[in-house]
Amino acid sequence: MSRLGRERLLAAAEAALGGDGDAEALVTRRASGLTRFAGSRIHQSTWSEDVNVRARVVVDGNRVGVASVHDLGPEAVAAAARRARSVAQAMPPDLGYPGMPGPAAYPQAGRYDEATAAAEPAQRASLVAGAVYRLPEGLEAAGTCETGEAEIAVANSRGVRASAATTFATFSVLVDAGSGSGFAEAAEPALADLDVAALADRAAAKAVGSREPRDLPPGTYPVVLEPAAVVTMVQFLGYLGFGAKAYDEGRSFLTGRLGQRVCSPLVSIVDDALAPDAAGVPFDFEGVPRRRVTLIDQGVAAGLVYDFRSARRHGVEPTGHGLPAPSPEGAMPLHLAMLPGSAPQAELVAGLERGVVVTRFHYTNVVSPMDTTITGMTRDGTFWVEDGRVVCGVRNLRFTQSILNALSAVRAVGAETGLATEDFFGATRAPALAIDRFTFSSATTF
Amino acid sequence: MEPEELVALALRSAADASAGYADVRWVREERESVTVTDDRVEGLTADDTSGVGVRVLVDGCWGFAASALLGPGSVRALGHRAVQIARAAAALQRERVRLAPVEPAVASWSTPVGRDPFAVGLDEKVGLLLAACAAERTVPGLAYARASIDLWRRRTLFLSSEGARIDQTVTQTGAGIEAVAVSGDDLQRRSYPNSFRGQHQAGGWEVALGLDLAGNAPRVAREAVELLAAPELPERVTTVILDGSQLGLQVHESVGHALELDRILGMEAAFAGTSFVGAGDRGRLRYGSDRMSVTVDSTTPGGLGTFGFDDEGVPAQRSPVVVDGVVEGFLSSRETAAAAGGAANATMRADGWSSLPLVRMTNVNLEPVEGTLAELVADTRDGLLLSINRSWSIDDRRVNFQFGVEAAWEIRAGRLGRLYRNPTYDGRTTEFWGSLDAVCGPSEWTVWATPDCGKGQPCQVARVSHGVAPARFHDVHVGVRGPHG
Repeated sequence: MSRLGRERLLAAAEAALGGDGDAEALVTRRASGLTRFAGSRIHQSTWSEDVNVRARVVVDGNRVGVASVHDLGPEAVAAAARRARSVAQAMPPDLGYPGMPGPAAYPQAGRYDEATAAAEPAQRASLVAGAVYRLPEGLEAAGTCETGEAEIAVANSRGVRASAATTFATFSVLVDAGSGSGFAEAAEPALADLDVAALADRAAAKAVGSREPRDLPPGTYPVVLEPAAVVTMVQFLGYLGFGAKAYDEGRSFLTGRLGQRVCSPLVSIVDDALAPDAAGVPFDFEGVPRRRVTLIDQGVAAGLVYDFRSARRHGVEPTGHGLPAPSPEGAMPLHLAMLPGSAPQAELVAGLERGVVVTRFHYTNVVSPMDTTITGMTRDGTFWVEDGRVVCGVRNLRFTQSILNALSAVRAVGAETGLATEDFFGATRAPALAIDRFTFSSATTF
Repeated sequence: MEPEELVALALRSAADASAGYADVRWVREERESVTVTDDRVEGLTADDTSGVGVRVLVDGCWGFAASALLGPGSVRALGHRAVQIARAAAALQRERVRLAPVEPAVASWSTPVGRDPFAVGLDEKVGLLLAACAAERTVPGLAYARASIDLWRRRTLFLSSEGARIDQTVTQTGAGIEAVAVSGDDLQRRSYPNSFRGQHQAGGWEVALGLDLAGNAPRVAREAVELLAAPELPERVTTVILDGSQLGLQVHESVGHALELDRILGMEAAFAGTSFVGAGDRGRLRYGSDRMSVTVDSTTPGGLGTFGFDDEGVPAQRSPVVVDGVVEGFLSSRETAAAAGGAANATMRADGWSSLPLVRMTNVNLEPVEGTLAELVADTRDGLLLSINRSWSIDDRRVNFQFGVEAAWEIRAGRLGRLYRNPTYDGRTTEFWGSLDAVCGPSEWTVWATPDCGKGQPCQVARVSHGVAPARFHDVHVGVRGPHG
């Protein structure tokens, strides 16, 4: 099926909106093709298309039920709404039910590129082959090329009628050079904007440069974290405590610290789905317009993100960060960005007397949520620097480090930013950072 | 159209498009989850999804296409699209994919279910969780109490061009509670029976009722509050006993994933990673002490990896992968088995109709040995009992790991003593398993769930299990603070 468009999305939603009381329908469609390669051959290629209508129905003023179906037919949607109603009737009253948002004007955001939506598997395979064939002899590549489109509509009984369509194209490549590996990735709204050759070259250079890595004793070192590694830290901050509900429950590292300095004044973090390079849609899953929120402003904890419920509780305007109902975790920032600085990334490395350059992290997890300590491994390009020059690759290291402590020791912020994606956190943009103290707690064997 | 007609139509379309091999799955999955915080129902969702996925081999290349749109035109197009994708893959092909043989099955299978969990009234489900939260809140000092239920029922119709025709329904049920205590800049959490929404097993409503959430709630709440006042676990090298839930995740991360043959062959290199184990290590690599025997067993009663057939039609089976500490096998699909030797052992699984089956864990079990946990503690002169996971991380070849758990109890002269907060431990896989010196016996053996295992691109989330009994390891580094080793 090709693009549905606003009218058909909203027509599907209408079937869920009958009856008394508040009702809401969230309609989504996603179709994407992904070409996956490993060992320099295409080994898993897929295409899938899914549709979903999530109906939220309120009875007796404050009993709420949600049901979801993967079918846009009016009968199936109406059945989901009936199911949501029966769920609501079995629910105890939600004494904090805030109602639903009303109609709003939405800003422009996101981009839909017809050519990307229509990309064929042969185009993706050709891009993959192009990346593989430009590698030097003896190097092998693994990664993905994905193209697709996503459509979303939110409608409710209070007059919200929001819809948007976006396209996406991503390319990731890991180059294996035996004892060294390198990685690069990019995401754009349009396939034509991906520079696959540059990604392959960058990953290959890292792979070759990290061959025959030396042991580096675990320790606390000055580091330069490249954008993909910084993205991991920013995303974990978002997960741990930029949402108002986490703040209210006392499980956010920001609880009681709004307005206080939490890290270096060189660090500012925002959530901004409307930024030209964010590829977001202009409203959240409740149909509230998305707004740019400054979360950390020059090192000071400056704000939180709110869904409709938490905004009502706090007496503020919702920021457009609601998740699909019923959203027990509350609002989440899905378009985080750390603002760039003025130093070219190369200068960050040149300013490193003795230290480590990290390309990206792997399998990071929370050790201690309140002091933002996380642990994970370096991967695909970890280098030792002396006198501003990369000397050699080093075997991968485990870090166990408080994010806020690392961000408090930032010496310089890179001027260029990179976009990195994680399945559970959305896409985040960040620059490279030079950090004076970063703790690697142990090492591995490769 | 009926599901039987849909899969037949999709298989015909793949054949018409000249697929050399094809299999088709129609999958319907119903899900229900309920979350209660304190006295509020914070989340109750019911989802119902069905679709068709078509997998084809064309000239030795895979293609896969899937859709939730189940009109005849859409389903017929899937076979053609899958073939188109496979043909495109030929642009970068080295060797033709071959499949290890499997006898095409014509069969049906269902999880034994005592009481259909989807037929249980919402009032009963909500009431169970409200009662558990209320029992937690009898303990002063909690920030909040939370309780949850998760239900899944998946029916799969599988047809292959080799003649397989399988109809199976898997039902899984789980529930759990957590207590959260906050003081200043510290947050402590205790869970029961396990963290991250509790314990899940194959079966019906009897699984949830058997957990006795309310009965355990006051203890869980007390321990969360006690953890706030407990000292940090000091850094040291010591003996540790892992309780069953934590040991299950230890097996998952440092054994199960490392023995997946697709990782070993490099097929997951760009995302989940590879493995320190080589395809030639079968019968040669000492993975752990002679107390360590691991099986991959999709027949384990109650496991989330328990079924009649995997998603390429291989019958459920029990396969030893580590015997007395030595690697003897891998988790293998038909493709990887053909590439590296051995047989497919029913480990090819997709997380729904929209996903290509991958080599996945089913129930990866550490075989029990002897004794009870109480006897093991009594037999330990100096060490720690580590309980319930809260954090996990391991490198992309499954060597260097670090875990955090909710609670640690000191063991002195065979008795449990002081409680410690924020416990962590780390190590390297074969050194750690080499230090295994005791595994409790069958009376302590439980099939623990890991319902959220991520792998593949697009990322799939598998529900898997690990049958384990508590076990003891020596010379383990605990209390990770700064650099060491």
